[in-house]
Amino acid sequence: MWEALEQTPWVKTLGSTGWMYAVVAVTHYLMMFWFIGSVAVVDLRVMGLAARKRGVGELAQTLFPWAWTGFTLAMVSGFLMFATDAGDWAPSRGFHIKLTMILLSVVFAVIVQRGATRWGQTPEIPTSAKLIALISLLLWIATILSASEIPSLEGLG
Amino acid sequence: MHDMVLAFAKWLEASPWGVMARESIWAYPVVQLTHFTGLSVWLGTNFALDLRLLGVGKQRTTAAQMAQDLFVWNWIGFAIVVTGGFMLFSGIATSFIYNIAFQWKLGLFVPTALVWHVIVQRKARNWGQGTDTPGIAKLAALTEILLWICVITAAVEIPNH
Repeated sequence: MWEALEQTPWVKTLGSTGWMYAVVAVTHYLMMFWFIGSVAVVDLRVMGLAARKRGVGELAQTLFPWAWTGFTLAMVSGFLMFATDAGDWAPSRGFHIKLTMILLSVVFAVIVQRGATRWGQTPEIPTSAKLIALISLLLWIATILSASEIPSLEGLG
Repeated sequence: MHDMVLAFAKWLEASPWGVMARESIWAYPVVQLTHFTGLSVWLGTNFALDLRLLGVGKQRTTAAQMAQDLFVWNWIGFAIVVTGGFMLFSGIATSFIYNIAFQWKLGLFVPTALVWHVIVQRKARNWGQGTDTPGIAKLAALTEILLWICVITAAVEIPNH
């Protein structure tokens, strides 16, 4: 099935046209940096380490909605990159770990986003909230690490 | 000039951290992780300010406030980027200096984007006093985004040259 995806005419065109693949890769990096950076700043704010003058809820509501646009575009461009070499990517253990990390990170990002308004209304941010923010931050770092390990351990990408 | 750059690149490659970045199976991904984590914080905060100046998204915070809120982590992010980037460069410095995409990236796009960013960040205090931002602010913010896209494009092209 993945081999078939790889052989689809438009995927073959994408994979063999230098500038097209570059556009997709640039989009992937750009959107990923934008999204992770936005989540990281909110995580740091919840932990009391960034933008302390700004309310947690206000910062989260300013940064998150557009960050999800970035996330969506990172996923779309990521899928396109995956498609050009789908036969090799699909069975890759490193890639499975990366996807799992993304899923976990997104779950925690959603928890932080939903909790931010509530946490911002209390005089002191609860310790449990700070812990959730720390886990969210560490998960994103783990996600980037798992992505960086794939080429050196499996020769993919 | 060329001899100096080459001598510096050779020295970096032979340095303990240069050897480590090149030869250890773990060091390279960790160094790349550092570069990418820094980039997320750096570019994430850059774009947050640029988009606010462009008037995109929620307008509850002014651009001036946002520039101030994000200032510290913006530059912490930059410090992390430079640390990771320096280590990446050290591993294969002599190949990098002859790479045309790397030359464009570090010789032109990065300095331009960086100077432009400093100007936008400083100007945001005046441009971003109210809810609406002037046309010049929007143009400057859009230019900054395009400059960073140039940087990333050059970076993505490095392995192809």
